[in-house]
Formats: sequence, structure tokens, C-alpha cells
Amino acid sequence: MAATAGGNKIRNAKLVLLGDVGAGKSSLVLRFVKGQFVEFQESTIGAAFFSQTLAVNDETVKFEIWDTAGQERYHSLAPMYYRGAAAAIVVYDITNAASFTRAKKWVQELQAQGNPNTVMALAGNKADLLEARQVPAEEAKAYAQENGLFFMETSAKTAINVNDVFYEIAKKLLQGQQTQNPQGGMVLNQRPPERTVSSSSCCV
Amino acid sequence: MAEADAGSSPSSVDGGGGGSVQNDYPTIDPTSFDVVICGTGLPESVLAAACAAAGKTVLHVDPSSLYGSLYSSIPLPSLASFLSPDPSPPSSTAAAPDSHTVVDLQRRSVYSEVEFSGAAPEPARRFTVDLVGPRVLYCADEAVDLLLRSGGSHHVEFKSVEGGSLLYWEGCLYPVPGKRQDIFIDKTLGLLEKRTLNKFFNLVKEHVAAASVSPDEAGEVDASAKIPEEDLDLPFVEFLEKQGLSPKMRAVVLYAIAMADYDQDGADPLERLITTREGIQTISLYSSSIGRFANAEGAFIYPMYGHGELPQAFCRCAAVKGALYVLRMPVAALLLDEEKKHFVGARLASGQDILCKQLIIDPSYEIPTLDTSFGGPDLKSPRKVARGVCIISKSVKQGSSNVLVVFPPKSLEEQQVAAVRLLQLSSNLAVCPPETFVAYLSTPCTDVSSGKQCIQKAMHALFSPQASDGSEGHLETADESTVKPTLIWNCVYVQEIRQGTSRPLLSCPMPDEHLDYRNILESTKKLFTDIYPDEEFLPKKSAPVYADDDTDSE
Repeated sequence: MAATAGGNKIRNAKLVLLGDVGAGKSSLVLRFVKGQFVEFQESTIGAAFFSQTLAVNDETVKFEIWDTAGQERYHSLAPMYYRGAAAAIVVYDITNAASFTRAKKWVQELQAQGNPNTVMALAGNKADLLEARQVPAEEAKAYAQENGLFFMETSAKTAINVNDVFYEIAKKLLQGQQTQNPQGGMVLNQRPPERTVSSSSCCV
Repeated sequence: MAEADAGSSPSSVDGGGGGSVQNDYPTIDPTSFDVVICGTGLPESVLAAACAAAGKTVLHVDPSSLYGSLYSSIPLPSLASFLSPDPSPPSSTAAAPDSHTVVDLQRRSVYSEVEFSGAAPEPARRFTVDLVGPRVLYCADEAVDLLLRSGGSHHVEFKSVEGGSLLYWEGCLYPVPGKRQDIFIDKTLGLLEKRTLNKFFNLVKEHVAAASVSPDEAGEVDASAKIPEEDLDLPFVEFLEKQGLSPKMRAVVLYAIAMADYDQDGADPLERLITTREGIQTISLYSSSIGRFANAEGAFIYPMYGHGELPQAFCRCAAVKGALYVLRMPVAALLLDEEKKHFVGARLASGQDILCKQLIIDPSYEIPTLDTSFGGPDLKSPRKVARGVCIISKSVKQGSSNVLVVFPPKSLEEQQVAAVRLLQLSSNLAVCPPETFVAYLSTPCTDVSSGKQCIQKAMHALFSPQASDGSEGHLETADESTVKPTLIWNCVYVQEIRQGTSRPLLSCPMPDEHLDYRNILESTKKLFTDIYPDEEFLPKKSAPVYADDDTDSE
């Protein structure tokens, strides 16, 4: 993993994206991680997760960002997806009222599956398309407040508020003083298998 | 079936597949795929990942709201309905397009003799039960390699079976040496035993080292270190006798390290005898597993949250490569091209017909017989395994969380023909609440009642029954370390084992009687090669490239 930067504490945090197909989940990540935007982003294929570090004051959060890999399309995300998520961004499209309705379902799902300490953000994406707006910002904001989420309207296209959402999450994670996944197990690393039988600690 | 809005409720697990008529199934788009897979057990999920990695378009459906089929880990309250599912509903037989014949797909009963006893501590849903238990991964086995190669390893965390293995022998538990130092500090071994055992392990070590050298380098090593061919073909038990191992040491090596299933002294029938070659292969895997991962203790690891995580990990790999996932979607029937005797699609419960070049089904479905020419692959009665699941009050080994116990044949009763294995797991694996432990047992059996009896005997050998008034359990007044764990709740059942087949329809293997996934994955790999002989099975490059902040993946 990444080297420890100047003795800073590095906090690893799994962040999951939720929301309907086409709301712009992958675009938000690509904007945040690579600073890119593609007008006609294909449905998510190719990456299980991205990682990106973010410095907040003298601390660093290393996000491991999980995208849905299309498994949300027929509502078939595995429990594994939610496990250990320190943060979640529920994304909807401000030009699509149905996507906002579905976003609320995702929030419910997250509340059922995730852990109670998960930091949740609601992102109204495609905020550059104001003329096509179907979801009033006030309505989303009120919903977010009632449900303990923080809310921002974002545009992966113009980059408005994209870094801010992640920065805000990082701040909340650091404030949260949560213990870091105390039950964590080991992740098998990619070290190539050692075929040598010289391992001196073994019988054979 | 499950609610329309999805896996939100874990109690909606449905092993039966069928269920109430509910017509809010989504319409799948597109309607034609290279591969349609029904069921999300481990073999199906690995195949989905392999097919997607080979560039095939894949539709993967499952009737349940959970991933895993016969390989899932389910909340304890759902166990009873999973083991005794409702019968399949009658399926629709409306005409199929393009003159295909519609062949009904039926579930078969995989489990029998299901028996529950005791009350699970509340909240019972905090217990997650494996259907494949007792099972572990060797740190150096094929399952681990596939996880690493596919990138699935990023999605699962493991913990070690850090308490190691114990052998049940003459009513007591003895540690099974893992590392060489264990032999020397083991107070239960006599000096002669230590010496013989150490000599034997050295012999195996030198053989493995000599055998692993490629032929062109062979000149440089001592060929005499190899065990002679005629010895390798000997029954392993005879070879161990020749090495002078005592009966107890033979039991350790045969049943607790080489993982032999059947009585090696009884020799009935002969094919159940493992050869020296097979024995050494497993010992070699065992020893190369120790120390493969710096933070793993011992040879075995177990996935946190249960074995049901593994299918999920492979499904995610498949999804990342473009496979389409639809849970809560039963397949009602298959579409058959009569002339070519080839299945060309599936009719979903929604009534939608999906066409495909290759169909793969979960072994919990009956394989439809295509007239007489195939002679029915199911005529032979299948192998069986008796399984048990227990909730117990404390660890069988003081100070250890996760432990494997092996009861060699005849150790529980004279009629015991096969070894019984028990895997105890603790709350550090997130499969049960703190202060409780879960134990899985299994033994292969031909006769279901004697199989179940062995499971029960093994439970009673290690655990004491729950006191009816809650006080008698402590009458023994012995110090805490010698009091047996209390058996709070248990379930015993028998599972049939069917092999995978590729004709007339590709059906995946069921969970087998073994401790690991080696045979299942080997046969899964063979099924893949049968359908795609020119494609590599989960090539290394299939692992997705992760965009990391310090690397540029483009």
C-alpha cells in the first residue's frame, strides 16, 4: 500500500457508491480520482475499486472506492458490497425524479445492510443541467437532514462540488473517532506464491 | 418469494426457488447472451468470472435474494426453510419461439433427515450458518490462487484457524504438529515418537524438494532423496508402518494431515485407500500452506462472515467484467433445440425467454433427461455426507478461537468407517455473537442413519448437553478448563453429493465431503475447459487493474 506520508496518520476507509444506473456514480469517481469526465460514460465495466488519498489538515484518509459494477441494475448487490463501508455516497440525477425516489430506497437499504456508523452523503448529480431540473434542491436537502445525511449537488462534468463531497466525508470520518474495523481479518496479498520448499518453519 | 424491493431483508432467503406468484419480475435487456448461468454457488460463480474474463457475455440469475445457492452462508433462522424447501411450482409451458421445445426445470431435494435440537440464543440472526461446513482453505491451495488471479481476494478477509488441529484419540484431544518445533515441545509425544515423526517429515520434505526440481536440473540434486516409485504406489498406511510410525502417529498423519476420509486399516473397498503419492501431495500442500502468508497462523484460513462470501467475491469479479446479475429470478424452464439436442436458452419466471449459446445450471436442479439416448446420468445413487452444525458455549481448546478436530475412524465407535471432522469457529470471524462458538461437523456416509449417528457421537464426545434447569451443568465442580463446552443448539442433516456434468446440460458440482475446495474447483475448471477448450481458465491478467493513487493504470 501507499507509503506513510511524512509520518501522518493514514486512515483507510472503504467508500461505496449507490444509486441508479445512469445517475453518474462512476463519473463522480472518475472526476475525483482522475480529474476526467467522459460525456457518454459506458455502464461500469472494468474496475472493482479505485483508491485515492485525501489530506485533511495533518491527517490523511485513503479512500478505497467501490463502484457497483452494474450489480445495482437489477437490485442484486451482494451483502459483501456494504460490509465494512465507512462511508457511502448515494447518487441521484437532479434531472430525473425517479432516480431521487430510488435514491431514498438506497438509503433505506444502506441503513438495513450497512453499519450504523457509516458516514452517508447524498449527491444530486448533473447539477450543470439546471434547465432540466426535476428534483428541487430544497426537497433533497430536507430529506437529507431528516435522515442524517449530508447533501450536496454535484456535477462530474464541471467538477462542481465533487472534491468537496469527498473532502466533507473525510472530515466526518476523522471526527468520528471510530475504531478502525477492529475485527478486520487479513486480505490475501498479491505476493506470488513461493514454490520453494525451503520455508524453514515447516515440518516438511 | 422476496419482497420487490430486494435484499433489504435477510430473512427473505428462499432456498426453494419457487414461491408465491409475484409478477413484478424485471424485464431483462438484452435477451441474448453467450452464457446464461442459473444459481450462484461457488462453481457457478467461478464459471461466471471465468466466462466474463474470457470476453463472453454472461447473464447470471438466482431464484434467491442471497448469493451462494448450495454454497451460501445464511442467517440461522432461515436454515430450516433452506434445508426443507417448498416443492418447485408448476412451470408455464406456453409455446416457445422458433420451434424450441420447453423443458420444465425442477428442483431436487438435496438435503434429507434434517433434525434440529435446542433453542438458538437470541437474536438468532446473528448466527450465520455455512451450508458447506466444515470447510477451510489451505493458504496454498487452488481456491486461494483463483482468488488472487481473479482479483476476488480484494473482496474477502480471512482469519486463521489459529488453534491448529487436534486429534481425538482414546477419548482425549491431542495437538497435531504443524511446525517442526511443535514436535519437540509436544508433551504428549514420547521421545521415540518424536524421533520417528521427525524422521518421517524429513523424508517427505526431501522427497518433495527433489521431486519439484525440473528434469533438466535434476543432475544437481540428490535423486536418492526421492521416495521410490514402488513406495509411492503403496497404500499410504503401509508406507507409514514401514517408517515405524505408531498407530496414534499414523492416525495423525493419515486423518489429520493427509485428510484421509475412510478407514485405512479396514481397506473396504480398496479404492478408499489413499496411496503414498496422494498422501504426500496433501502433506506437501499442508506444509507449503504454513507460512505462505506472513500474517496467517497455521495452514488453514477461513473467510470472515462465512463461506458464502466466496461466491459473492467471484460474482463481483464477473460483474466487473460485464456479467449481468439478477437475483430473485427463478428459471422456470429450459429451451431445447430438439434436432440438435442442445439447450439454447432459459425461460425465466417472468415468462421472458433468454437465448444463449451455453447454459449452466446449479446442481440443485434436476438435469432434464433428453429422451433415452443419454441414459440418465442420475441412475447411480449419489454419495452422501452427514453434516452437523452446533452452537456451543466455549472453545474446545482453551485460549483458541478457531480449531479443527479430527475423529479418526473407529475412534468414536467400532462401526465408525469414516473420519469425522469438526471445525470450531469463534466470533472473531463475525459468524456468531461474542461468548459463543459455532462448530461444523461432517462425515461421508453411505448409510444415512449411521452417518448421523457418528455426527451425534462426535458432538457428545466433546460437548455436554444443555442442563434442563440450567444448574446441573456445573455439578462437576472441576476447574473451568476441564469442563466440556455446553451444546446449546444443533442441527444434523444429510446432503447428497452430485458431481458436475457437462452433458447433456452443464450442471455444477455440489459441495463435497472434503475439508477444502480442491476437488470442486478442479472439476469446475474441467467444465470450463469442456465448453471453452481454447480459452484460458481465469488467466492472471484477468484480475482488474486497480487505479491506485501512486500508479497510473492507463
